[in-house]
This record gives sequence, C-alpha cells and structure tokens, in this order.
Amino acid sequence: MKSELELRGVQQRFHARGVEGGYITAVDDVSFTLAAEPPQVVSLVGQSGSGKSTIARNVLGLQKPTEGSVLYGGKDIFKLSRAEYDEYRRDVQPVFQDPYAIFNPFYRVDRVLWKAVKKFGLTSSRSKGLELIEESLRAVRLEPENVLGRYPHQLSGGQRQRIMLARVHMLRPSFIIADEPVSMLDAQVRKHFLDILLDFQREHGMTTLFITHDLSTVYYLGGEVMVITKGTIVERGPVSTVMHEPSHPYTQLLLDSIPQPDPDNRWSTRINVDAVEELDDSTPADAPKPEAPIL
Amino acid sequence: MRRALSAIVRTIRGSRRLAIGLVVLVLLVLVALCSPLIAKAVGGGQDPIELAAYEKWLVPSPQHLLGTDQFGRDVFAMVVKALAVSLQIGAIAGVISTVVGVIVAFVAGYKGGWIDGVLSTFTGILLVIPTFPLLIALSAYAKNVSLFQVGVMISIFSWPFAAKTIRSQVLSLRSRPYVDLARVSKSRDLEIIVTELLPNLLPFIGVGFASSALGAIFGLVGLEIIGLGPGGVIDLGQIIFNAIGTGALTLGAWPMFVVPIVLLTLLFAALNMVNIGLEEVYNPRLRGVAGE
Repeated sequence: MKSELELRGVQQRFHARGVEGGYITAVDDVSFTLAAEPPQVVSLVGQSGSGKSTIARNVLGLQKPTEGSVLYGGKDIFKLSRAEYDEYRRDVQPVFQDPYAIFNPFYRVDRVLWKAVKKFGLTSSRSKGLELIEESLRAVRLEPENVLGRYPHQLSGGQRQRIMLARVHMLRPSFIIADEPVSMLDAQVRKHFLDILLDFQREHGMTTLFITHDLSTVYYLGGEVMVITKGTIVERGPVSTVMHEPSHPYTQLLLDSIPQPDPDNRWSTRINVDAVEELDDSTPADAPKPEAPIL
Repeated sequence: MRRALSAIVRTIRGSRRLAIGLVVLVLLVLVALCSPLIAKAVGGGQDPIELAAYEKWLVPSPQHLLGTDQFGRDVFAMVVKALAVSLQIGAIAGVISTVVGVIVAFVAGYKGGWIDGVLSTFTGILLVIPTFPLLIALSAYAKNVSLFQVGVMISIFSWPFAAKTIRSQVLSLRSRPYVDLARVSKSRDLEIIVTELLPNLLPFIGVGFASSALGAIFGLVGLEIIGLGPGGVIDLGQIIFNAIGTGALTLGAWPMFVVPIVLLTLLFAALNMVNIGLEEVYNPRLRGVAGE
C-alpha cells in the first residue's frame, strides 16, 4: 500500500513591505490529494505569481506553510519520525525548473547521481552504484559516456534536465513534483522530456504533479488538471472537460490567451485581465470553489 | 586533490594580474622565511642586529649592503627580519578575521531571520567605528603588547568587512536550486554550507583574507611610525620610525628609509593584484570594465 500525499487547507503568507497588512498571501486555502494508485499525471496550471511554485515547495517540505498542513501517509511532513521522514524523502522527489541552476557549478554532474546513491543507500557497492547510474541514464536516453565526468556548463539544457530525470529514475519515488520542468527547453526536447515522464508513469508507477503555465503541455500529458489563480484553485477536473468546457472565467481567459494558428484570424481581440480579476473578486458566487476531490 | 590543483592553475592562468601578484608575494614570503639564513650570512657567526654589532652609521658597502643604523645594526638583516614580522602580523590578523568573518557570514546569511538581524547590526556597528584612533588608544593604554595581541586587536575591526561581503553572497547562493536539491537529498545544514556553498565562495574568502592582511600590516606600520608598536620586535614600520627619528636621510643612510617603503609598496601592490585578479577571474563582467 503506497502512501497518499495530501494538502489540507494550505496557506502560505510572505512578509512584504508596502502591502496592506504587511504580507502577501501566495497560497490561500489549497486542498487536494495525490493518490499513488493508480499512477497518474496531475497538472497544476496558472500564470506567473499564482502560487504554483510555492505549492511545490510546500509539498517538497522546503517551505513550511503558515496555515494548514501537508500530509504524507496521513501524517504532517514537518512532524515525521526519522524513519518516516526517510521514506517521505525517498518517495517525493522534485524536478526543478532551471536546468542551469540545479547543478552546483563547482562539481561534475556525476555528483548529483552519486549523492542520491549514497544518501538513500541504493546500492551496496561502488560498482553496483555505477551500474545503476548508467542504467538510469540510458532510461532517459542519455549515453553515460557523453555525460559522466563532465561539468554542468559542458552539457546542454535538455541533457541536464534529463540527468535530473535519471536521478528520479534511480530513486523510483511514488511522486514526482515537477515545477515547470520544460519551460526552459525548446519544443523538440520538451516533447522528449514529457514522453519520459509518461514512460515513468506507465512503467514505474510514478505519479507526477506537473506544474506549468503552458496549456499545450497540459493537453499533451492528459490526466487531471487544476487551475490556480491568486493562490486559489478555481477549477479542477479531467483535462478534456476543463479545456473544452471551462466553468471558471479565469480558465476561459487562459484558453483565450492561446493564439490561434490561423492567418485569417488575427489576434486582435484584446483580453482585459483586470476585468476578469474584478469579476473574480466581486462575484465569488460566480466561481464556486469545488470540493477537494481525490484526483 | 589533482582536480583542486588544476582548478587553481586554471584560475591563475585566467588573469595576468593574479599571476604577477602571486609571484611577488611568494618571493617576499621566501625572503622572509630565509631571514635566519640571511642573518647568519651577514653576521658570519654573530647576530648582525645586536646593539653595537658594528660601527654605527656605516654607508652601504659589500659587507653591509644597506649600511648600519644608529645602534650599529646591519640594516639589510634588519629589513629582512622586519619583513617577516610584517608578514606574520598580516597572517595572524588575516586568519583570525577571515575565520570569524566567514562563520558570522554563514550563520547570518544561511539562518536568516532575527539571527541575521542581530549579527548584521553588530557587524554594521563595528564597521563604522573608526579603527585607527581606537587602535592608538588601545596600544597606548596596554603597555608591552605582544605582536599577537596587536594582531587580535586589528582583527577585531577587520572581520566585519569580510563578513559583510560574504554574507551577501551567502544570501544569494542559499536560494539556488542546487541547495534545494541538496535538501531533498537529505543533506544537513552544515553539510550544505561546507559542500555546496563554501567552494563557490572561495574567491570571496580569498579577497577577504588579502584585504584583512593588508589592513593589519598597514595598521601596525601606522602604530610603529607614531611609536606605539608592540615591544621586542622590529617590523618595517619601526625601521621607518627610526629613520625619521634619527634623521637618517640627512646622514646618508637612505636605505633605512627607502628600502622598507619599497618593500611595503611591493607587498601592497602584490596583495592588491591578487585581490583584483581573483575578482576578475570570478566576476568576468569586471573584465569589460577594465577594458581588457
């Protein structure tokens, strides 16, 4: 029985000067559950500043929420015993946004993989560790001899991001928290990356929380989608339903923001973001907050 | 180990300033280290800087390359010994202020919050205290201070500079994604500081050390020139003080005045070149500004 990952009423506030009340609320009363069985892809979509990366940091235990809790196997991740913490760390792993900043420029890229082997006690000997590393690199379609022993600046962005996937492949977590992992990759490498994620879901039963601002990647991945704006989840459901029959004006706005690939249909209609936001503020009845379903 | 060495070689090759500065510095240190040998060679069995070892006010000659002073001491042997003392004070103060500065900077920058507030305020207060007048007062008050004590006194006021610059770097580095990755890989705080942050801060620590050492050497020279230096040791400043006090220049004993100043200038130039060179290597944007 694999553990579930649950957010219950998570609120994250940051101190900020010159703002009313002295703080800004990045995430406001967010609840959802990620089930490990069956493995799935859940996308979290929102614009910059909507609080999606903060949710990723909360889930990964890098940032303690001001209110509410993140539960792993029914227990608060900030109150786990040592053994439970080890299990949680092993089971919930990230892929970050920036493939350049994720490597410490001082070391070779191998170190990231060896660190995973050593810290999580994956193998008993060094030769087995190397075997595991090479196997995982091949699983993400990298040639070990092309990347091992190199410094981060000697590799391309796509290669670096795939090394992070190889790390995930070695650890076999139940949950991958992918925070905008493809936003800095070009279109071809992006598809490549998404395919590997889908492979992981099918072959190794990994559930992915895929955080993005890009609706086309959401569409490609399928599964469930949650739409977040101003720290609140405003709509959730299967990708096909949300994309074709959006119920919240913000989702409608997001969909309208995608240019149409039609030369006759010039992108001339201006979308008034403020109008939608006012609507959002003044008529909350218009935006019923759905119950937290188990996705 | 080999990797660290090759990284160092690469760094030195990256900047001509750094290379020249290091060569001069190493030469000066070598001369200072050889001071007992030089004393022996000059004295030929006896101590050449003993009082009345020779006749006083001898002009430079093959026996006494830089002549002798008012007490009949060999100036050449004295200058070499004094160089060693000056470098020593630089090393003492440099090490103390770098270690203190690095620890304060890492604790403040990494922990943040109220700890950072308290430490930064304290650092700021020390930064604005005028060092030299206070040093004069302290030296005048404490009779017979040793070299080490002066070193400690100088470092009390020079660590805040190192702490301030390193803290700001820690602040920018601690939110890097690779630190987050280390945290989700079960690394502890101390491990992250030592293995993830520290290597990237080595150039800043080097700069901090060089400027603290420089400050200390010149602080001591300043004290000696006004006659408030530690007892029992001769440093470059004291030779200059003697030269001024006895009117050595008018007696034709110009080396007593000129040579220590040349050595200090060389030391100053070398350390500064190392400073600028390190910054240049690790902050490539500066190269454009310098017009190279």
